[in-house]
Amino acid sequence: MTILEKFYQSIPLENPWIESWKKEGKKVLGTFCSYIPDEIIYAADILPIRIRAKGCAETPMGDAYLTQTACSFTRCCLEMANRKQYNFLDGMISCNSCDQIRRLFDNIRFKAPPPFHHFLSVPGNVNETTIDWFKHELTKFKETLEENFSVDISDNKLRDAIKIYNKSRTLLKELYMLRKNTAPPISGTDMMNILLTNVSIPKEQFNELLSQQLQEIDGKEGISDYKARIMLAGSMLDDPDYVKIIEELGGLVVTDAYCLGPRYFWDNVDETKNPMDALANYYMSRVSCPRMAGRQSNRVEHIVDLIKEFNVDGVILQRMKFCALWWGEIFIIRKKLKELNIPFLDLEREYVMSGVGAMKTRVQGFMEVLEAR
Amino acid sequence: MVNEFIQTADFKFIKNNLSILVQSLLKLLQSCEIMDKELLDKYTKLGRGNWGKDLAIWKTMYKGFLGMAKSERGFLNPGKSEELNPFIEMLLNAFLEIPKARKEGIPVIMHPFNYEPELFFAMNLAPLMQEILSVGLAFVHMNEPYIDYINNIGYGDNPTICNAQRPLISMAMQKAAPIPDLLFYLSTPCNSLAASYQVFQGLTGIPSYNIDVPYWAYEEASEYYDEKTMQYMINQSKNFITWLENNTKHKFEEQKFQQTMEITNEAREYTLEFNELLKAVPCPMPSITGFGVFLTMVARGGSPEAVKATKWFRDTAAENVKKGIGAVPDEKIRIAWPYTHVFFDINLLNWIEQTFNAVVVMDLLGHYKVLPQDTSTIENCFKSLALGTLDASMVGKCRGPLEYYLNYLIDYVKDYKIDCVIMPMHFACKHVYTMARIASEAIREETGIPTLIFGVDSYDSREVTSEELKSKISDFLTHIVL
Repeated sequence: MTILEKFYQSIPLENPWIESWKKEGKKVLGTFCSYIPDEIIYAADILPIRIRAKGCAETPMGDAYLTQTACSFTRCCLEMANRKQYNFLDGMISCNSCDQIRRLFDNIRFKAPPPFHHFLSVPGNVNETTIDWFKHELTKFKETLEENFSVDISDNKLRDAIKIYNKSRTLLKELYMLRKNTAPPISGTDMMNILLTNVSIPKEQFNELLSQQLQEIDGKEGISDYKARIMLAGSMLDDPDYVKIIEELGGLVVTDAYCLGPRYFWDNVDETKNPMDALANYYMSRVSCPRMAGRQSNRVEHIVDLIKEFNVDGVILQRMKFCALWWGEIFIIRKKLKELNIPFLDLEREYVMSGVGAMKTRVQGFMEVLEAR
Repeated sequence: MVNEFIQTADFKFIKNNLSILVQSLLKLLQSCEIMDKELLDKYTKLGRGNWGKDLAIWKTMYKGFLGMAKSERGFLNPGKSEELNPFIEMLLNAFLEIPKARKEGIPVIMHPFNYEPELFFAMNLAPLMQEILSVGLAFVHMNEPYIDYINNIGYGDNPTICNAQRPLISMAMQKAAPIPDLLFYLSTPCNSLAASYQVFQGLTGIPSYNIDVPYWAYEEASEYYDEKTMQYMINQSKNFITWLENNTKHKFEEQKFQQTMEITNEAREYTLEFNELLKAVPCPMPSITGFGVFLTMVARGGSPEAVKATKWFRDTAAENVKKGIGAVPDEKIRIAWPYTHVFFDINLLNWIEQTFNAVVVMDLLGHYKVLPQDTSTIENCFKSLALGTLDASMVGKCRGPLEYYLNYLIDYVKDYKIDCVIMPMHFACKHVYTMARIASEAIREETGIPTLIFGVDSYDSREVTSEELKSKISDFLTHIVL
């Protein structure tokens, strides 16, 4: 089995790494958003994994309780929770990422309560006052974990966790930067698998795998038979098959802007500061999600920088149906891309892959536009 | 700085839309019986002159409200149409204030429906509550052309982004939106609002400021109590004041702030008394009245006019209670309406009242419940300001866990002797729509009364039409409640 194939093993929700972790008698907590600092959970010797809804086929419960105008990710999650698909988790952590996620959490608490749950109030903008608030929230979170799981999360444990997580970020960035090459050594589909693995297995093992992957591709010939270099940006996306469709049609996804992507690893947490200060600062100040007010121009600049750095030919903007935050964001991104004469394609999608034919047609058309330039 | 979108406005589109609006309003005016010529003359004169191109719709709306104020039906003033009631007078002055501010060089600050303007009054700024546009235009079915335009441009759709804000973006792209000097909004109650205000900022380049409203509560009795919340809000207000000072030439004066908060609290006292009076059977005020109280506070809270208007609401209700007068003759059904009104159908509530002898006691916004505070110190005034945000009608009930909404609703049903609940859920309102099902189950379990939930776009008459709404409500009241 190649290293890349090993990464693919993390795709099911309950993967072999989680099974081994649990066999050791250790706990696993599911998280709903990249604003939840995994480091604090990991410092408690608990495995944090990102909650996904892989395998969801229908959403009658989600439709009834969240309504059909809620995004399909939240409807799928409620469905999965109701069908006990998350029962391998020892608890769930959520935050006010968006209206739909916060109400999903309420509905899960009422209809399929997990053994443990905690909610973080993440501020909606960034300044000294809100960072201080977030630090307070993180301290409460740490204390809640300590109390509920009878663990001690010392500053030293937090520092260790931060180091391990920073190592992941550094390795991911190292791999990610190789995509700048004219012949990148890794496809967008494989990169997404690696990003998914990053939030689905213990970090030490992930770092080991990623180090091996970097060695394996070192000096190898990259991918050159593509029609266009693509950036993929938009709502929460955790389905490598979505990227695969684009790449099968000749696009090579060389960079991206969504919550599992560079936003997660672009910068490191400051290891010299008090750990709680460092975590609060890092999570609030990094490249933000559209939920953060007043940072839109920074986010758009970040996207433009990536486009230039990775020599992008065209941008595919994908937004999950009924996602207000990303629609607002994409509206402004489109304006900027038009100003810069950068071609883009705007796609609406559901969490579960559907309308593949229509998507293929549109992507194919987009590739032709890019090729003709 | 106004950017290129604004500069390349589609004037033909605006002209056509304005023409439809004026025709609708003229129709309304023709049906009105003018009762008080002196007052009409006064406000007609005040409305004259050049308000500026971007205030064309604002001015037309002013004229429309002036007509409604003089209507035979006496908007919010049943049986007393000979008076221009203090609420309508306050509303008219809110419209007039914007061109006046422009003339006098006073900065105009646009704010959303969940933030009271007392701080702006204290700093001598002119507040413009944005949603007056979408609500006001909904009455005359004038949001629809803007909604169509923005659908074509590609900013959202009805089920995704709220039409309380989307017409603003449409107007902004056609140079028809009022262009304020400053823009302010909160992180709550919804992403949709925050997204649209950011887009408006992105299109116009107007300096903007945002205050974060935390997810948790401050009430000591609550299991979600968090002592930091109040201080957090106060600190943010102080940061905001610094920003306002830096972006205007207006200085914050403690004494003026204290006076303004005293005025605010006086109005809050009247609103609480008014709320208590609505517990009377029969309900002393018509179904729309609660919304009027809310509008008073959110459009003019902190002004003497708001005190006058809330006192008028309180006194009218008290007089009716004393005389045993109900808003609906032979009241048969008392309805809780724990969401916003269907703004595009101004007659829906009248129809419910007349057809079923039923009264909507209060809507979600109209259930204004910010507790008055001691304002003897500046810190207390800041506390009072923070309470106005934390407890703002929709914010207070919806910014936290679902339990807050449930507690509010169950208390409402019990305290106001409610017979049934109607939840007309606005499609794009994810944060409330996603609570409705659990809320209806809790209401049945705790109080045994039924709930009707249906989807609607409160600002677009085409998604679910008036006829469909009436059919659903009629079936519910006839077959389930009665």
